[in-house]
Amino acid sequence: MGEQARILIIEDDRKLSAALASGLEGAGYEVKAASSAEEGFFLVHRRQPDLILLDLTLPQRNGLDILQQLREEGVDVRVLILTSHNTIEDRVAGLKTGADDYMGKPFSFPELVARIEALLRRVLPSTPRRLTIGDLELDSAARGAWRSGQKLDLTAREFDLLFYLSRNKGRTVSREMLAKDVWQETSRYTPIDNVIDVQMARLRKKVDDPFQVKLLQTIRGIGFCLQEP
Amino acid sequence: MNVSTRWSIRTRLTAWYVSVLAVLLLVFAVIVFIFQYVTLTRQIVHDEMQDAVTVEGLLYFDGRGQLQLRQDYYSRPQSHLLVDRLMEVLDLNGTVLYRSNALDNQSLGGGLVPGEGDGSSNERIVRLRDGSRVLTISHIHGMSGQDFVIRVGYSLRPLRDRLWQFVWLLVVALLVTILLATITGQWIASKAMSPIGLMADRAEGITANNLHDRLVVANPRDELGALAAVFNHLLERLEQSFQQLQHFTADAAHELRTPLASLRTVGEVALSETRPAEQYRDAISSILEETQRLNHTIDSLLLLARAEAGNSSAATENIALAPLTMEVSNMLSVLAEEKEIELLLQDEPHSHPAVYGDRSLLRVALINVLHNAIKFSPERGIVRIAFTMGDGLISITVADAGPGLREDEFDSVFERFYRGRGNSPNHGNGLGLSIVKLIVERMGGSVRFDPAAEIGASVILQLPIASQT
Repeated sequence: MGEQARILIIEDDRKLSAALASGLEGAGYEVKAASSAEEGFFLVHRRQPDLILLDLTLPQRNGLDILQQLREEGVDVRVLILTSHNTIEDRVAGLKTGADDYMGKPFSFPELVARIEALLRRVLPSTPRRLTIGDLELDSAARGAWRSGQKLDLTAREFDLLFYLSRNKGRTVSREMLAKDVWQETSRYTPIDNVIDVQMARLRKKVDDPFQVKLLQTIRGIGFCLQEP
Repeated sequence: MNVSTRWSIRTRLTAWYVSVLAVLLLVFAVIVFIFQYVTLTRQIVHDEMQDAVTVEGLLYFDGRGQLQLRQDYYSRPQSHLLVDRLMEVLDLNGTVLYRSNALDNQSLGGGLVPGEGDGSSNERIVRLRDGSRVLTISHIHGMSGQDFVIRVGYSLRPLRDRLWQFVWLLVVALLVTILLATITGQWIASKAMSPIGLMADRAEGITANNLHDRLVVANPRDELGALAAVFNHLLERLEQSFQQLQHFTADAAHELRTPLASLRTVGEVALSETRPAEQYRDAISSILEETQRLNHTIDSLLLLARAEAGNSSAATENIALAPLTMEVSNMLSVLAEEKEIELLLQDEPHSHPAVYGDRSLLRVALINVLHNAIKFSPERGIVRIAFTMGDGLISITVADAGPGLREDEFDSVFERFYRGRGNSPNHGNGLGLSIVKLIVERMGGSVRFDPAAEIGASVILQLPIASQT
C-alpha cells in the first residue's frame, strides 16, 4: 500500500471508539475519531477520509441522517455502518440510504478488518486458482488440496473451509465469518458454533495431525488462523 | 360528524324511543279523531231522520192553504225543539212551502236536486248564505195527495267546535305524554347505562401496578355483566402475560449477570498482580469466550421476541417440511458423525406437504430439536426422524436413545432458562426448547415429549398443513 488509507470513526462510545482506533492503527490505517455528528462532518470535509465507520445511534442526530446528507453532498467515501440495531429491516434501510456495508454490534474485530479491506479494494480480486501456504497447496478448479504433495481426502465442506482459511492466510477468521461465508447461515445460534468447532477439529485431523508442521491454529476467544508458524 | 355520534347512547336511545312513541300516538290520535268524526256525523244524520219522521206528522195546511207546523203537539216533547230546527218544505216544483224561523229566511240548499229525497242523495252538506255549513237530509213525504220534499238540517258548527276541542285535547295529551316519556326514558336509560360508567371508572384506575383489580359484575346474566366478564378475562390474560414478562425480564437479567460476573472476576483476578504474558492472554481469551456466550443469550432473547411476533412478520410463506428437515440434518450431520450417531430419516411423506410460517424461524426450531437429540444421544446411538400425517396436521418425531426425561420434566423443559437435572458439560442457555415451543405455537402447532417413548426422549412437533394455493 503506497499511501495509508484514512479512516474516520463516528461513534459516541469513547471506549469502543478508542479500541477501534488502536486496532485499526495497528492494522496500518490512519485513523481519526469523532464522537458527534458535527465533529464528524467537520472531519469529513477537512480530512477527506477514504472510509467512515458510522454508528447509527448518535446523540442529537441519527447516523442515517448524516449518511443521507453526505450522499446528497456527493462526498466520495465508503461508509460502513456499525450498529446495535441489527434486524434485516435496519440493514436494508442502511444500505438503501447509501451505506456500503453494515455490521451489527457486537462484531468480531477480524471480520471488521476484513470488511474494511474489501471496501477499500475498489476492484474485487479474482479468486486465485491455486493457493499455497507452506507445503499446503489448494486448487480451486479441481477442488483438491495437497500437503507435501500428498492429496488430502476432504469433504466438500472441509474443502470450502480450508479454501476460505487459505484465502485469509495469516489473518484470524472468526466463527461469525465462517458461519456467514462458508455455511451461509444468516442467523447465529449455538448449534452452528458447535458445528464449526467440530468441523474444524475434523479438518485439523486431516490437514495437520499427520504432519510435523501445524498450520491451523485456534486463537482462543477469537477464531482460527491458517499460517506458517 | 353526524348526530348519531355526537350524542350519548343514553340520549340516542331516548330520542329513538320517544320518536317511535310519538309516531304511534299520532297514528292513534288520527284514528280516534276519524272515528269520532264519523260517529258524530252518523249520529246527526240519524237524529235528522227521526226529526223528519216527526215533522211529517206535524205538518198541516191551514185555512189559507199555507203549510204550517203544528206547534201545540205537546204529547211529543221534541216538537218544541223542532221549531228551532233548520227546516224547509218544498213541493216537487221547487217552491218553498215552509221555512223554519231559525233559517232566518235563508235557503236551505237552494232549488231541488234531481232525485232529491228518493234515497241516495238525501244526505249532504250545504252552505247557508251567512257562510255556516249545515248537514241536511231530504225526505219525500206525501200529504193530501201531494208530494213534498222535507229538508231537515243541523248546523255543523257545534260539531266543528267539539272536534276542535277534541283535537286540542289530543294535542295536549300527546305533548304531555311525550314529555313524560322523555323524562322517564332518560332516567331508565341512564339507569341502564350506569354500570358502564362504573366499569369505565374502574377500568381507568387499572394500571400495570394493579392489574389484579377486576371490574364489578353486577349481574353476570345480563349484557353488561357479560361485557364486564369479558373485560375481566382480558385483564386476567393481560395480568398473566405481564407476570410472565416480569419473570422473564428478571430471569434474563439473571442470565446476563452470570456471564458478566465471570467476565468481571476473570478481569479483576488477571489485574490483581503482575503475571506472565501467557496468563494475561489466557484471561483475555476467557473474557472473549464469555462475551460470545453473552452474545448468544442476547441473540436468543431477540429470537424469542421475533418468534413472539410469530406469523405477523412479513417473512411468512409455504414451507416444504421434508426438504427443510433434510437441510437441517445435513447441517448438523457433522456433529452426529463425530459421535458416530446415525441420523435416520424415516417415513418421508410421498406428497410434500407444506406448512405456513417464517422459514428461518422454523429452521431454528428444527435445528434446536435435532441438536438436542444429537447432544443427548449416546455415542453410536441412533436418532430417528419420522413424519406422520393426519387430521390436517403433519408431525415430525425426533427420537434419541439418550437418558430421556422424567415425566415431571415434560412441561418444565419448555420453560425459559430451564436447564434440567445435573450440569451437562455442553449446556446451552436454557432457551432452546422454549424458542421451539414459541415458534411452533405461533405457527398454530404444538410440541411435546412423547410419554410413551421407551428409551430416550422423543419430541413431537405437530404443525398444521398449509392449504395448497
